[in-house]
Amino acid sequence: MNSDLHPGREHAGAAIRCAALSRSFGGTGLVLDRLSFQVEPGEFVALLGPSGSGKSSLLRLTAGLDNPDSGQLVVEAASGAVLRGFVFQEATLMPWRTVLRNTTLPLELAGWARVDAESRAAEELRRMRLTEFAARYPHELSGGMKMRASVARALTTQPNLLLLDEPFAALDEPTRHGLQMQLREIWLALGMTVLFVTHSVTEAVFLADRIIVLSHRPARLILDHMVVLPERRDAELRTALEYIDQVRRIAAAMPVSGEAS
Amino acid sequence: MNVLLLLLSLVVLPVAAQTAELAKQTSIKFALNWKAEPEFGGFYAAKLAGSFEKRGLNVEITEGGAGTPVVQMVANSKVPFGIAAADEVVLSQARGTDVVALFAVYQTNPQGIMVHPQRGFKSLGDVFGAPGTLAIQSGAPYTLFLQAKFPGAKVKLVPYAGGIAQFLTDANHSQQCFVTAEPLLAKKKNQPAQSFLIADAGFNPYGTVLIARRRYLEQNPKQARDLVDAIRDGWSDYLRAPEAANAWMVKLNPAMDSETMKESAEVQKPFILAANTPSKELGKMSTVRWTSLVNQLSDLKLIKKKPAVEKLFHNF
Amino acid sequence: MTLNARLASWLPPLLPLIVSLGAAEIAVRLAWVPSYLVPAPSEVLQSLLDDRSELALAAWATLSSALAGLALSFLAGTFFAIVLSSSDLARRAFYPYAVFFQTVPIISIAPLLVIWFGFGQPTVIASATIVSVFPIIASTLLGLKSTEPALLDLFKLYTASSGQTLWMLKIPFALPQIFSGLRIASGLAVVGAIVGEFIGGGGLGSVVDGARTQQRIDRVFAAVLISSLLGVVLVGAVNFISALSLGSWHSSERNSS
Repeated sequence: MNSDLHPGREHAGAAIRCAALSRSFGGTGLVLDRLSFQVEPGEFVALLGPSGSGKSSLLRLTAGLDNPDSGQLVVEAASGAVLRGFVFQEATLMPWRTVLRNTTLPLELAGWARVDAESRAAEELRRMRLTEFAARYPHELSGGMKMRASVARALTTQPNLLLLDEPFAALDEPTRHGLQMQLREIWLALGMTVLFVTHSVTEAVFLADRIIVLSHRPARLILDHMVVLPERRDAELRTALEYIDQVRRIAAAMPVSGEAS
Repeated sequence: MNVLLLLLSLVVLPVAAQTAELAKQTSIKFALNWKAEPEFGGFYAAKLAGSFEKRGLNVEITEGGAGTPVVQMVANSKVPFGIAAADEVVLSQARGTDVVALFAVYQTNPQGIMVHPQRGFKSLGDVFGAPGTLAIQSGAPYTLFLQAKFPGAKVKLVPYAGGIAQFLTDANHSQQCFVTAEPLLAKKKNQPAQSFLIADAGFNPYGTVLIARRRYLEQNPKQARDLVDAIRDGWSDYLRAPEAANAWMVKLNPAMDSETMKESAEVQKPFILAANTPSKELGKMSTVRWTSLVNQLSDLKLIKKKPAVEKLFHNF
Repeated sequence: MTLNARLASWLPPLLPLIVSLGAAEIAVRLAWVPSYLVPAPSEVLQSLLDDRSELALAAWATLSSALAGLALSFLAGTFFAIVLSSSDLARRAFYPYAVFFQTVPIISIAPLLVIWFGFGQPTVIASATIVSVFPIIASTLLGLKSTEPALLDLFKLYTASSGQTLWMLKIPFALPQIFSGLRIASGLAVVGAIVGEFIGGGGLGSVVDGARTQQRIDRVFAAVLISSLLGVVLVGAVNFISALSLGSWHSSERNSS
């Protein structure tokens, strides 16, 4: 549906269909309890929930890094292959490689020639405004720059599904806000499906078009809400009444901490 | 004044008596430089026959092994008596360590080289002129002596680690030995050996000598004399009838069985005492022999200055 | 650096050395300590000078054996660690035997080594290898098993083969640990070489053996001093390579001054 709203975007997104998805782990017990929902191609969905609610587990299942115990999880793309990008909570760069060589990693693993991989990666670095740091090592970068490099890396394969696991939580507020705006710009330009895990209501409302709220463990769907806010979101929106109103509404639906629902 | 002397003696005499009693009862350690073998048979025989106890000596014989530093132990007063090689005495004296030889078990040194008979060697010169390996103690005087005597040797000198394992498995291997011991062990393992005496080549120090610090001798002259007398009796017994001492040594040293011990005790007799020599001459040493050793060691550059020969030994 | 700063960095480690050498020299000269126990430092120095060409040749023989042993350890140990890291079953089955290499008393199996490898360098190298292989196995295995889980996820996400994961991720990640193991192993390789030489012949080991027989404690100390220096040289070489490989990115190299 979103692709109707945004004709001509670069990559069509992948769709996610999830039915009665359950997952439990040895030490912690049942984490996801018969979750069912669907994500349409090109949607920007925030997965919101309290800490430990299993939203990261759900993300990992979507990424194919884990398998459900029962239920169904299908990810498909109209164009054929599903290409995933993942941005972790920590930047997770390889310290022995330069920023450029970190960014080319997904392409190297896919068998791209070095020259091609580097030029493709350089484009993403340009998009993330890291070109002048391409030859530096991760330890020379600030937290925010490392995160931008991580995003650049996730984008090199031109994914149709971008997964992010609370990537900005460890950054200071100005950097976080800057990266949130930049992420939304990237989504608007490229059109892939985005699944963004967070425990911050303000972040979810600012970034997403749709918010899925999960309960405490074992996670069940509490709320599936379409965000009513303008398409282009800038710094001024954070103090606008309509934004605060949406935040209040979502916050009211959030489970109280410690309470199982 | 007389009262004072009386009082003093009342105190001193009992104390002295106590100390004498204690000294008699504390054990006198006697350190060997190898495991119990017929090489030391006379010492064990003396203990068995009570020759030490008879003279009021409580002697404790302790075995040694590869690298046991008996000379250092004696020089350091860790043990009062020990067994060493004659050249060690000379080396120590040359370095200012005052240890003295008191008794020599072997008049002819049984140090030799054993070889496989099938190699057809007729002399030590043949051994050194042929390829193969020769295990010999690195830096030992007999090693240096042989190297000097046979320069340009074809044989490869390798370290001697004890035992005969390499000899048994390697047909091109020769090794040092006591001709009274290792060749017999090899024969037992179905590898008969041919041996050459290094003494025949011209290097013949006394073998297996009893040593003590001179200071200790000066402080305990009677004890030293009694010990040497007991040892002389012990060796006299052992030469006549080694069975009892052998039985004891077999228990202490499982590496040698009683048959080999019996044979070794027999084979070593001519090395200890020449025929027709009275047994009261057992173990006695001469200035001539010691002088010859000092000169040889000096020629081999093992000592820088020659120690006075009289300081090297004392015959009780 | 100013003169004061230079002194400040060199003096602390030198001072204990000067004091103890001086004390030893005085103690031996005044015969408080007999010279067959501890040689006077001046005697050791004299011995070093007198026998310098013999000691240099022996040191070269020991060093080359230790290097060869270390290289073999590195190859075998790294290979073994990679195999063990890729299979839990393999690790549980074989790791206990790797520990055997750490605990076997080399001096007692050295005669066996001679029977298998013959006298001379092969035995010495075998001894050096046996003694130095375990730290490499243990450190490399630890390094390979400690890969950051998120990075492993990243590789899994992009369907990397296990070969790619090993070569591009696990091994580079484990490098600091691998160098740590190499550092320990290099000192041990020298020790192993010298022990091998006691039985197999040659090198500094035979110098020590002969000197001991002749009660030349000064020569023993001279040889021991040189073998410690060999260990220092080897560790220094490992440190140098480590700095080259890790210098650009690992905190252990960046923070050292």
